[in-house]
Amino acid sequence: MFRLEVRGLYKSFGNVPVLHGVDVDAVGGRVLALLGENGAGKSTTVKILAGDHRCDAGTISVSGRPVDIRSPRDAEAIGIRAIFQEFLDAPQLSVAENICLGRLPRRGWRVDWRAVRRTARTVLDQLGVDLPLDRPVEQLGVAQRQIVEIARALVADARLLILDEPTSALAAAEVENLFRFVRRLRDDGVAIIYITHRLDEVAEIADDVVVFRDGRVAAAGPVTEFDQHALVTAMVGQDIGASIDLPRHPPAHAALTVRDVHLAGHVDGVSLTAHAGEVLSLFGRLGCGALELAEAMFGLRRFDAGTMTVADSTGQPAGPWAAIRAGIGFLPVDRKTQGVLNGLSAAENIAAADWSRKARFGMLSPRASRAAFQRWQEELRIVAPKGAGQPIETLSGGNQQKIMLGRWLERGATVLLLAEPTRGVDVGARAEIYRILSDLAGRGVAIIVVSSDIDEVLRVSDRIVVFSRGRVSAELTRAEADRARLTRAAAMKETV
Amino acid sequence: MATVMSNEHTDEAPPRRRAPALPTQLLLGLFLVALVVYFSVSSPYFLSVDNFRNILLSVAVLGVVAVPATLLMVSANVDLSVGSAAAFCGMLFAVVAEDHGLALGVAAALAGGLLAGAVNGGLVALIGINSIITTLGMLSVLRGATKLVSNGQTVGIDGFRGLGSGSLAGVPTPVWIFALVAAAFVVLMRYTAFGRGIYALGANPHAARLVGIRPAPNLFALFVISGGLAALAGLILTSQLRAATPLSAEGLELSVVAAVLLGGASLTGGRGTVVGTLVGVLILGTLNNGLTILNVTSFWQEVARGGVLILAVGLDQLRRLRRD
Repeated sequence: MFRLEVRGLYKSFGNVPVLHGVDVDAVGGRVLALLGENGAGKSTTVKILAGDHRCDAGTISVSGRPVDIRSPRDAEAIGIRAIFQEFLDAPQLSVAENICLGRLPRRGWRVDWRAVRRTARTVLDQLGVDLPLDRPVEQLGVAQRQIVEIARALVADARLLILDEPTSALAAAEVENLFRFVRRLRDDGVAIIYITHRLDEVAEIADDVVVFRDGRVAAAGPVTEFDQHALVTAMVGQDIGASIDLPRHPPAHAALTVRDVHLAGHVDGVSLTAHAGEVLSLFGRLGCGALELAEAMFGLRRFDAGTMTVADSTGQPAGPWAAIRAGIGFLPVDRKTQGVLNGLSAAENIAAADWSRKARFGMLSPRASRAAFQRWQEELRIVAPKGAGQPIETLSGGNQQKIMLGRWLERGATVLLLAEPTRGVDVGARAEIYRILSDLAGRGVAIIVVSSDIDEVLRVSDRIVVFSRGRVSAELTRAEADRARLTRAAAMKETV
Repeated sequence: MATVMSNEHTDEAPPRRRAPALPTQLLLGLFLVALVVYFSVSSPYFLSVDNFRNILLSVAVLGVVAVPATLLMVSANVDLSVGSAAAFCGMLFAVVAEDHGLALGVAAALAGGLLAGAVNGGLVALIGINSIITTLGMLSVLRGATKLVSNGQTVGIDGFRGLGSGSLAGVPTPVWIFALVAAAFVVLMRYTAFGRGIYALGANPHAARLVGIRPAPNLFALFVISGGLAALAGLILTSQLRAATPLSAEGLELSVVAAVLLGGASLTGGRGTVVGTLVGVLILGTLNNGLTILNVTSFWQEVARGGVLILAVGLDQLRRLRRD
């Protein structure tokens, strides 16, 4: 029988250790859940198994024989297949061709298309689903594409199937379906590693569980040995409720209100209000809908239903330009692709959101940009050795992020939406960004932080709204919030 | 601690130290100087005020459309229809002026250019069709329209010589126009919210949108400007020839793209300057002029022009690769 044994896995990226001696066992015919917070080391572990990363130390053996996994090809050769959140399919090719991708049956030098269809049909039958074999994969929904990937793994004769948060983009009925396939594969003797941070899913699908925390195994064993409380404790550790006190902000008037917002596939009837002078966190797992809601508030997505009020004006902004005019600022998740205007100077980057107001008859003086930079350089402690004219892409991540923040200070935004504001920022710069947020709130700016980082949320928030599957599952003041409550609320299946 | 772990996202590496290197533009300037020196040494006829006037005059029309093309390229777009648009507007002018006078002719030409630009801009900016495809189509449409308007004939026009053949203070009028357009674009690209917005859009369209820059109206305006200046180029050409021919300005778009790329702009947007394009235009003009004086056949001239373009862009790419 297939048996994977991982012993003493160590891995660092640069100077940052990610795994400190991880042991994992996966056995054919059982589902092993890997549970843990974002960044606890689950994904790194399976990426090592899939051949995407190499471990620094540790051994991996399959059915008693040590193996060396140097590439995805090696992983495939010993029967390991991983399905990550980003699909590795060829979107324009048909379902049948995708299922056989990389191992198309041949007749001589020609592709045997009849065999391709036959193979695809057989595998889909084995899974008990019916998909249109000739349709391009890009025309399928997420759930169906996932099935295509699972089918591909079966064609490749996978003995260990790794599923990385497979339900994060699925609707409830589709989740049930996926679980059916997983059970069927398990009963056929396939070993399954199932990564999740949803407690309810662990109870439903897993036979065994390994809980990761800070790159170590915090708990492991058959699922029946753990109740929900034990799992949460293992995930978050004992240091519950450690928060650094930033000055509190007295609540003021409502700055931004949304009512009954629906965004198809993301948000399902959410209402909330952000007050001037308050830091409101929208906490939840990736895909919980909070980010999409923030994007919609900034005019990047259309509400399918719902209303929005900012300051005096009612209605959803038609686009970012309209949101900015209404006094909203937005700090995107991915600074590199969505924030930084590369090729332009640090000064221009800080002034860009305010160009429309700085221009006189369309004319923009470079001095205005430099003045903007100097205005915020000291307060934000921006380090730019070559001064205002330094190209932004040559600054460090933390300094770039401060410039992204400074952009909205210069504009004088009254509502600031921040998506994962400290991702990819070092610890020192992170503390400064928290200080800046606190200062801003003190000046009467309404700050909405979208974050999946529990420490961040506990540290900066006056009030926390927890999202789970597109709905609000809890609303807590800072005094009420602790790690266990937040973790439980974010993993909630239904509203309580 | 939790996010410190997810260091796939960490990008706190200190800024890379770049080896001091000559800027590409300066290098191109040096190449231009080298060309001038070479031709001056090789031929006694090259180095003279008259000949420099000839070179400038020969590139003026190219320059008038290459300058707006630079800003288009900064926005990661191309207008391949400029040659056809120039011919079309020149023809429109000649046909209308024949019956209704010069003023109406000029008005018709400018209106035609702006309209062609608006169609390009609408298709690219509002509907989102790739600019190469859109303007390649428009290239053919306008060339055909030019022949339709004139029945495929050359239309002569009298009394409109000033624009193409006049001169002021010893400098031909087309060169003045080129200089004015260039100066206007230096200001537009450096000192206006519109120009800086185009740089932002070209560098990172998503980020530009998030700071409130609206891609559609900006790109639309760019194509309209390009069309308008193509009309101006068409008027200059018609005035120089004292006639509008259906085949005029054929292949102009290729010289425009060559000059802009020689000047250091990038097809992927975000990079490019008017000064760079001026150098690019002058390199093309000097090469043509010098080789003609040296009695090199026009066949070899074409080879040389293409070779210089590939060499310059290739070298720039290599330098960029080495730097990163």
